[in-house]
Amino acid sequence: MGQIVYDVHYQTSLGFLISYYFYLTGLSAGSFMISTLSYGFGLEKFKPASKMGVVTAVLLLMLAPQFLLMQVAWPVKSLWHNFVYLNPLSAISYGAFLLVLYPLNSIIYGIFMFKENKKWTKFFGLIGIPLALAVHGYTGWILALGVARDYWNTGLMPIVFLFSAMVSGISMMILMIMIRDRFFTKEKKINREIIDGLAKILGWLLVVDLFLVFCDYSILLYSGQEGQEVAHFMLYGKMAFGFVVLENLIGKVIPLAIVMIPKLRNSYFLLVLAAIMNMVGILAMRIVTVYGGQALPLM
Amino acid sequence: MSNSHETAHTKNKHLPRWGMVIDLNKCIGCHTCEITCKEQNDVPLGIWRSWVKEIEKGQYPNVVRSFRPTLCNHCDDPVCVKVCPVHASFRREDGIVMVDPHLCVGCRYCMSACPYEVRYLHPQKGILDKCDFCHFRVDKGLKPACVEACPTSARVFGDLHDADSEVSQLVARKPVQTLKADMGTEPHVYYIGLDQATMEIKREVELVWDK
Repeated sequence: MGQIVYDVHYQTSLGFLISYYFYLTGLSAGSFMISTLSYGFGLEKFKPASKMGVVTAVLLLMLAPQFLLMQVAWPVKSLWHNFVYLNPLSAISYGAFLLVLYPLNSIIYGIFMFKENKKWTKFFGLIGIPLALAVHGYTGWILALGVARDYWNTGLMPIVFLFSAMVSGISMMILMIMIRDRFFTKEKKINREIIDGLAKILGWLLVVDLFLVFCDYSILLYSGQEGQEVAHFMLYGKMAFGFVVLENLIGKVIPLAIVMIPKLRNSYFLLVLAAIMNMVGILAMRIVTVYGGQALPLM
Repeated sequence: MSNSHETAHTKNKHLPRWGMVIDLNKCIGCHTCEITCKEQNDVPLGIWRSWVKEIEKGQYPNVVRSFRPTLCNHCDDPVCVKVCPVHASFRREDGIVMVDPHLCVGCRYCMSACPYEVRYLHPQKGILDKCDFCHFRVDKGLKPACVEACPTSARVFGDLHDADSEVSQLVARKPVQTLKADMGTEPHVYYIGLDQATMEIKREVELVWDK
């Protein structure tokens, strides 16, 4: 109604570093899930992906918190303040513990896996699943409990984060397995069965992910003033390229078509393309959610 | 105000509950409060603890300006205190919400959770900072700098637990409103005659990649 004559500039609180952190923990949680399919749930055909999955999960989760430390203004102080002065009401407090427990458990799980000790591998694998869910789910809670932003403050946020994590993790595993089989094995031949299996899982997870986005937006468009504004900002405004094109079209819809149509799935080239597109799309999703979710000034 | 803190406090008569009333019928939009605050608290360039948002309505020659002086609302149930992972954001017994510079690690979670966007990261200190009602002045019996400097006495500061204080009288007698009361934060900065247009969200926004 009125024309703004004077207002001060507001700092962006959570930026790209947090997006990358969320992205990497998501990839880590996703690859950990894949590694537990054979040892934890007895799906033998996914066994060739297990060792690779756990190594990737540990490496990524060592890398991910570095981005957090870069974001925090006092990184060394934060390392011990988070444990000594913890606030049980804050989602970040729980994250500090999860970021220690989950890599530790993954390392122990990996050691038993490389020693071919099935009993203990299964034990630590099954402990690891709730930890992996928590370590990525809590990042959704961080945003959802930032109550000022309507875009974040939804009960769907942790679930959206979990599904996007699994989706991007599986895409990464598909790419890595293909590269390994093609270039670093004696036979130089890609294991068709495991790639097909992962692609099918990816397809169904993408269906759920798209459904969650639909739920989120259909409700956001009917919510209060700020919710409507931010939904328009994402769908038609400056974020439209990031949200509609990168995240959903390139990141989810096209890969979904490729992995769900058997003819297209048979082409390794298209599968690689789908996996790369999906990984790019999920990275865009992290940036859209973290940066775009708070881009609109509130008052 | 049926907070458990509140009832405990009302029993103890000597414990104040600081609050502010801003009468916009008196506000002339001179930005003195903004400047005084920067000077008093040594707020670096580019950030503000307290500022005046200015809106223009209508078309020339029929134009009207409305103002919204903004500062920390010193909520009874502050989101920033709830989400702070290291207890650096805290609420004093007298209602002033502050940041402990020794505890804060600068994670900026409180900044993204505050519905009023009054927090900023201090560029030199690397900690979160915000309006603290000039607590060092209040503790010595003085008024906050912005209240002291306001030329039209639009800002009134005082003890809301004392029924005879000017703020209590204004809150009791005038039609007052708080910002975003629907957030459930129970703010303690009251406005008289606040224009709806000054509270609308901005649609035009500059993103990182626009620059």
